[in-house]
Amino acid sequence: MNFPKSIEDLIVQFMKYPGVGRKTAERFVFHTINKMDKESVKELSETLTQLKERINYCKVCNNLTDKEVCHICSNEKRDQSIILIVESPKDVFSIEDTSQYKGLYHVLNGVLSPADGIGPEELNLKTLWDRVAEKKVKEIIIATSSTQEGETTALYIKRVLQDTDLTVSRIGYGVPVGLNLEYADQLTLSKAIENRKKF
Amino acid sequence: MKLNQLSLYNYRGYNKQDIAFGKGVNLFIGDNGSGKTNLLEAIYFLSLAKSYKTEDSNLIKFNQDFSRILTTVDLIDKSYDIKIILSKNKKKIILDGREIQKLSDYIGQVNVVSFLPEDMNLIKGPPKNRRYFIDSIIGQMDRNYLIELSNYKSFLKQRNDLIKKLSEDKNPDMTLLDIYTEQLAKAGEKIISYRNNFINKINLELKSIYPYLANNPYLFEFKYLPSIDSSLEGTLKENYRKDLFVRTTTSGPHRDDYGFLMDDIDAKDIASQGEQRIMILSSLLAVTEIIFHYKKQRPILLLDDVFSELDTTRQNKLIHFLNKSHLQTIITTTTTTNINQEILDDAKIFNVKNHFIRGNKHE
Repeated sequence: MNFPKSIEDLIVQFMKYPGVGRKTAERFVFHTINKMDKESVKELSETLTQLKERINYCKVCNNLTDKEVCHICSNEKRDQSIILIVESPKDVFSIEDTSQYKGLYHVLNGVLSPADGIGPEELNLKTLWDRVAEKKVKEIIIATSSTQEGETTALYIKRVLQDTDLTVSRIGYGVPVGLNLEYADQLTLSKAIENRKKF
Repeated sequence: MKLNQLSLYNYRGYNKQDIAFGKGVNLFIGDNGSGKTNLLEAIYFLSLAKSYKTEDSNLIKFNQDFSRILTTVDLIDKSYDIKIILSKNKKKIILDGREIQKLSDYIGQVNVVSFLPEDMNLIKGPPKNRRYFIDSIIGQMDRNYLIELSNYKSFLKQRNDLIKKLSEDKNPDMTLLDIYTEQLAKAGEKIISYRNNFINKINLELKSIYPYLANNPYLFEFKYLPSIDSSLEGTLKENYRKDLFVRTTTSGPHRDDYGFLMDDIDAKDIASQGEQRIMILSSLLAVTEIIFHYKKQRPILLLDDVFSELDTTRQNKLIHFLNKSHLQTIITTTTTTNINQEILDDAKIFNVKNHFIRGNKHE
């Protein structure tokens, strides 16, 4: 079956998105044709263009923002003495959703993995060293994933900061909340036992 | 663990074949190319859900759409049915009527220990062969070993790629190398302790198995030859300069070796072909004992063309030993003329001709 070229072109565009295969892309296109009027299509394309024009990385923490400095870094009510380090901007939004954390963030934009060509220079580490050199910061919380790469990245940051008087901590890993122990795999359980804390 | 019944349909050269195994020694006698090894391969497939020598699609009989392996496995207290269906680009495994979704959930249902003619390279061949042999046995007993091994391997890959990068750097940042080295050492220590443990166990078993089969007074022992036998972390760190120069991790568990020692002398220098064969067979029999201690089930022993290069006495001793063991053994051979009749009487004999298997009437 051959679609008219303009339909086919848009299908190919939608398929560039993660999780979108050909069938889904076709549904998007027909939805656009059948269910959306000219006005909303124009609105969509303008929103897309604006997104790329306006979104950039926060000068301080590398989080996504449409200003020069993100709303977290520029909020003076937040605790300026703690920095929580995450892999990606998405992690910032996840942690913000909990409303538990009141300090600042630092986004690495990845994890160390020489096998994928990612060394310390490829991550936003230099800006981190500059930030901690200013005396305001007292504590660092490392919240990279508990994958091999995330663990290595955490160890690296800890090692570089070991001779400073900063308090460096790592978020706890183990059994998910609400999970019955019998469903946890061996590795998770042994990590949870390793990371036990006084009760 | 015993195979009770096996039925092959469109598998390799077989059209439709039903086999009722005996609980002890099963001897399949036939000429070269008659289909003996294909039968062993089918049983091996039941164990790992893959062939040891080819892709799945080559297992389907020429010009047919699918092939099927069906079996009933008897354990001490229960039994279960396994059905494997192979089509051009799919395999389906059905265990007691339920389709297996994840292959890793299936592997381990049928345990086999096998001797293939190419295993003769174990003693003479490169260390890689011996590492693979030992790794796959430990992995068969304890799945955690495979997890530790793959953990080690991915740290090794990261470290090697980092070393390549650092070796081009005028002012290399060694902090990350320190970290990978420490992690590699930690993972490597676990591997070494698994391997040590296994070698101790196999040597204990060999003490009783080898002298009988070999019919000689020598002491046969495995020797673990770790590439680093002092502190892993310390040695890896001492080797920085060398590693950066050769651009790879030059030592560690990935470079370990094992010696087959006869009275403390490396067998590859002194043992004849027949003696080497007996050493490997003794090791496999020792492995079946270790697996039994671990899993409380004895694996099925597959021996392909095992008699060649063995003298008459050793052939008889081997079959006698297997008759007396609690193992189900499946042996292929071109001839049994050297085996005493009373020893043959305890085994179940099959004749294989042009991919057609017939049980011997006598029994």
